[in-house]
Amino acid sequence: MENLQSLLHGFTIAITVPHLTLMVIGVLLGILVGVLPGLGAPNGVSLLLPLTFGMQPVSAIILLSSMYWGALFGGSVTSILFNIPGEPSSVATTFDGYPMARDGRPTTALATAFGSAAFGALVGVILITFLASWVAQVALAFGPPEYFAVYFLAFASFVGMGGAAPIKTVVALAIGFAIAAIGIDTVSGSVRLTMGIDELVKGVSFVVAVMGLFGIGELLIAVEEEFQARAVSSRVDWKEVFRALGRLPRHGIALLRSAAIGCWMGITPGGPTAASFMSYGIAKRFSRNGARFGTGEAEGIVAPETADHAAGTSALLPMLSLGIPGSATAAVMMGGLMIWGLNPGPMLFVDQKDFVWGLIASMYVGNIVAVVLVLLTVPVFAALMRIPFAVIAPLIVIICVVGAYSVSNSYLDVVLMLGFGVVGYLFKKLHYPLAPLVLAIVIGDKAEDAFRQAMLMSKGSLGIFFANRLVTTLVLAAMALLLLPLALHVVRLLRKPDEAAHEKVRII
Amino acid sequence: MNVTSKLLLSTTALLLAGAIPAAAAWQPQKPIEFVATAGPGGGTDNLARAVQNIITKYKLTDQPVVVVNKGGGSGAEGYVYAKASAGDPYKVIFGTSNAWQQPLVSKVAFNYTDLTPIAAMAQDEFLLWVKQDAPYKTAGDFLKAAAATEFKVGGAQSKDTDEVLTRMIEKAARVKFTYIPFKSGAEVAVQLAGGHIDAHVNNPSESLGQWRGSTQRPLCAFSPKRLPQGPKVTATEGWSDVPTCVEQGLAISQYEQPRTVWLPGKVSPEQAAFYVDLMKKVQATPEWKDYIEKTSQVNTFLTGAALDDFIKQDLEHVKQVAGEQGWLVK
Amino acid sequence: MISRRALEIAAAALTGIFGVVVIVSSIDNGIGWSSAGVDAGTFPFLTGIIIVLGSLYNMGQGALGRGSLAIVRVAVTASELHRLAGLFVPAAIFVAVIPIVGMYLASAGYVFAVLALPKRQSVVRALVIAVVTPLVLYVVFERMFQVSLPHGALGAALGF
Repeated sequence: MENLQSLLHGFTIAITVPHLTLMVIGVLLGILVGVLPGLGAPNGVSLLLPLTFGMQPVSAIILLSSMYWGALFGGSVTSILFNIPGEPSSVATTFDGYPMARDGRPTTALATAFGSAAFGALVGVILITFLASWVAQVALAFGPPEYFAVYFLAFASFVGMGGAAPIKTVVALAIGFAIAAIGIDTVSGSVRLTMGIDELVKGVSFVVAVMGLFGIGELLIAVEEEFQARAVSSRVDWKEVFRALGRLPRHGIALLRSAAIGCWMGITPGGPTAASFMSYGIAKRFSRNGARFGTGEAEGIVAPETADHAAGTSALLPMLSLGIPGSATAAVMMGGLMIWGLNPGPMLFVDQKDFVWGLIASMYVGNIVAVVLVLLTVPVFAALMRIPFAVIAPLIVIICVVGAYSVSNSYLDVVLMLGFGVVGYLFKKLHYPLAPLVLAIVIGDKAEDAFRQAMLMSKGSLGIFFANRLVTTLVLAAMALLLLPLALHVVRLLRKPDEAAHEKVRII
Repeated sequence: MNVTSKLLLSTTALLLAGAIPAAAAWQPQKPIEFVATAGPGGGTDNLARAVQNIITKYKLTDQPVVVVNKGGGSGAEGYVYAKASAGDPYKVIFGTSNAWQQPLVSKVAFNYTDLTPIAAMAQDEFLLWVKQDAPYKTAGDFLKAAAATEFKVGGAQSKDTDEVLTRMIEKAARVKFTYIPFKSGAEVAVQLAGGHIDAHVNNPSESLGQWRGSTQRPLCAFSPKRLPQGPKVTATEGWSDVPTCVEQGLAISQYEQPRTVWLPGKVSPEQAAFYVDLMKKVQATPEWKDYIEKTSQVNTFLTGAALDDFIKQDLEHVKQVAGEQGWLVK
Repeated sequence: MISRRALEIAAAALTGIFGVVVIVSSIDNGIGWSSAGVDAGTFPFLTGIIIVLGSLYNMGQGALGRGSLAIVRVAVTASELHRLAGLFVPAAIFVAVIPIVGMYLASAGYVFAVLALPKRQSVVRALVIAVVTPLVLYVVFERMFQVSLPHGALGAALGF
C-alpha cells in the first residue's frame, strides 16, 4: 500500500489552484488541437514545450499531459460528426459514431464516446497506480518476435470480420501494406516504392490517407446520395447527455473487455490505434448486437473509445519507467523530461517521487476536468450538424486540405489526400472494405520490421515464433481468432445455406 | 519599372551596402523556419528547439523562429525539402552526419553538396553497452566471448552511424556480430534491458536512465580520452569512470556523431555568415551549457574550412566501411 | 451514366496498375534472403503479386456481373454524376491554385464560388463566410500554432 500513500501525497501536489488552472488551460488547448485534423497533440505539446522550461517540472508535465487528455477527447469529435478521424486512434470510432450522428443523434454519440473514453482512461490510470513496477517488467519481455505476434493478433482480431467479398478485403489489405512500405525501410535502410517522386521518401502519412479515404470519400458519397442529415432538434439538449451516460453501465462487459484490451495494447507497444481496432473487432464478434455494428450501435462506439483511452493512458507508463514512448505525443513529452533534467527510466520512480506521483495524481484529476469540459461542449459540437450541407461541405474540404498540409507542410500531401478521396469514394461505392486498408497502413510496416528483425535473430528460422511461452500463446491466440469466423461460417453454411448467404452486413 | 530606375535603385543599394558595416550585411526580414530532420522528441529535434528557445529568450534576431519536423525517411525528408528550397535563407536545417552518410548507402534524392554547411554544434559520444548482469567486466572479456559465439548487437537504423561503428568493432576485434536495426536508440536500450540482444553502442543520453536504473552498463567509450567529469550517474560511477575503448584493447580511438546545422544551397555568403554568427551567439549562453550537460553531449563548434575538413574525413572513413560491407549505392 | 460493371472494371484496373507499380519498384530493392536477412523488396513484391492477382479476380467478377452488388446495374446516374462533379471539380481547382495564390486567397475564392454561384446562399452571406474562413485559418494556424500555410507564388512575389 506504499503506492496508495504516494498517490495521496501526489494529490496534495496536483490539487492546487495553479495546477488546476493549468489543467483547464491544457485541456481546452488539447480539445482544440484534437478537433482540428492535421494538428494533433504532438503539435500542441511541442509548441508548449519551450514555454514550460521555466516551470517546475511537475507543473510543466501537468500542463502537457492535460493537453494530451484534451486532444484524445477532441479527436473523436470530427470522427463522429463528419467521419474525419483527426487522430489514427479515432478511426474505429467513425464506424458507428458517424452513422449514429447522421441518424440525428449526435449528442448521444458524443456523450457515449466521451463517457466510455473517461472510463477507459480511469482504468488505465488505476493500472499505472498499482501495477507500475510489474507492468514495466512485462514490457521488457517483448522482443521482435513478441512484437510481431502482438501485431498479428491485432490483424487477426479485425480482418475477416467485415461483410465484404473476401478477395476485395485481401486487395484492400495488400494495398494498405504496400502504402505502409513506402519510404525508407528501417531494417535495410533502403528507399522503397517512391515511384519516382523524391518527396515520397518520407512515406505516406496516415492522417493524409484517412482524411482522404474517410473525409473526402464520405463527402462524395453524401453528395451523390443527396444526403440530408436527419434534423437535429434545435434546442440544446442537456438531458440527452446525461441519459446517454446513464445508459453506459448496460455495456458493462464491453467496457471492461475494451479497457482490458486497451491497457494490454498500451503496455505491449501495440499502441492506441491497434487497441481501438482490435477492441472494435472483438466486440463485434462477441456482442449480441454484433450484426448491427456499423449502423450506429452504442456498443460500437463504446468499444473503440474505451480501448483507445485505456491504451493512451497506459502508454505513458513505458515512457516513464523504460524511456520508450508508446505514442508520438509521449515522445515529445519524453524530450521535455530530458530538457527539464529528468531521465526517464527505471530510477525515475525512485529519484523523482514527487514528480511521478504528482503526474499520476494529475491523471486522475486531469481526466475528470477533461471529461467535464468536453461534455459541456457536446451540445455546441452537436449544433454543428445543423449547418446546411451546402455550407458545411466546402468547409470540410478546406479542413481536410489544411489538415493534410499541416501534417508536414507539404503540398504533395494535399494532392495525395484528394487522390485518396477518390479512392475512398470508389471503394465505398463498390464495397471494398476501408478498415483493413487503414489498419495495414498504420501497423503494416511495424509488423514487417518486427518480422524481419526476428528473422535476423533466428537466422531465418520460423521456430522463433514458438521459442517461449509468451510468443507461442500470442501466435496461437491470433491463429484461433483468424480461423474462428471461418469455422463458424462453414458450420452455418452447412446448417442453413440460404440464411447465411442472404445475411445482410454493413461493409466497414 | 524601367531600366534606368532599376539601375538607379541598384546603385543606391550598392552605396547603402557599402555604408553599413559588414557584420550587418544581411538581416532576416521574415520568419525563420528551423527544420529538424527528426521526429518530435529526438536528439536533433531537441537541439533545434533548444536553439530556438535561446534565440527567442535573448532576442538574437527580430524575426520569429518556428520549428518544423521533417523526420520522415530517417531525416531524408528534411534534406530533400532543403534541396527543393535552394536559395531560401529562411530555412535552417538541423541534422547529423546522415546528411553525407545517407546518400552513400541509399538512393535518396539529395546529397550534402546540395546544402550550405553552417556549423557542427555538439558531438554525441558512443559507448559499448552490455546488460547489467552480463558476465563481462571489460571490453576485452566481451570480445573474447564474442569470438566464441555470434552476438546480437542492436542499433538505431540500418547502415547508419550505429551499424558503421558495429562493423568497425567487428573488423578491429576480428569477430562477427548479427546487427539488428531498430527505429531508435531508446528502443534499442529497452531491447538490451529485456535481454533480447547482447550489446549496443548507444549515445550517453539514450541509455542514461537505463544505467541509473541498473539494467545495463557501459564497458568503454569510443573517445580518445575519458569523457568529462560530470555528476555521478549511479551511486558510485559517473561518465568519467568509463574507460576508453583503447585502454581496454579495442583499437577504435574516436567515433562521434556531430549535430550539424545547414542552409539550403545557393544562398549568399552574407546570409550564411549571419547564421554562423547567430549560432556562435547561441553557444555563448548559459542555457546552451545547461542543454549540453543535461543531454550528456560534448560542446564543439566547427565552421568554415574546419567543418569541410571534418566532413571530408568522415566521408572517406564511412565510404571505406560501406565499401567493405558492400553497401554503396551504384 | 456509369454502369456498375464499368465502375467495377475501372476500380480493379486501378488497383491492378498500382500492384504492377509495386512489383516493378520492389524488384530494385532485392527479393529473397541475404546476409542482411529478408531483403527489403520481398514483402512489397509479395503484396504486389497479391494485389495484381486479386485485381484480376475482381475484374473478372465485375465483368461477369457477379458478386455482392450483382442486382445493382447502374452505379452512378447522370444527375448523381452531375452532383459529384459539382463538389469535386471546384475542390480540385481549389487545390490546384494553392501553389499560385496561396491557401488564404484560394480558400476564400473557393468558398465564395461554391456558395454564391449556384445561388444556394445569398451573396452577402457567402461573402461573409468567404472572408471569415481564411481569417480563422490565419489566426489558428499561423498565429496560435505557428504552422505556416502556403502563401503561394503570389505571396512570395509580394514579399510574404
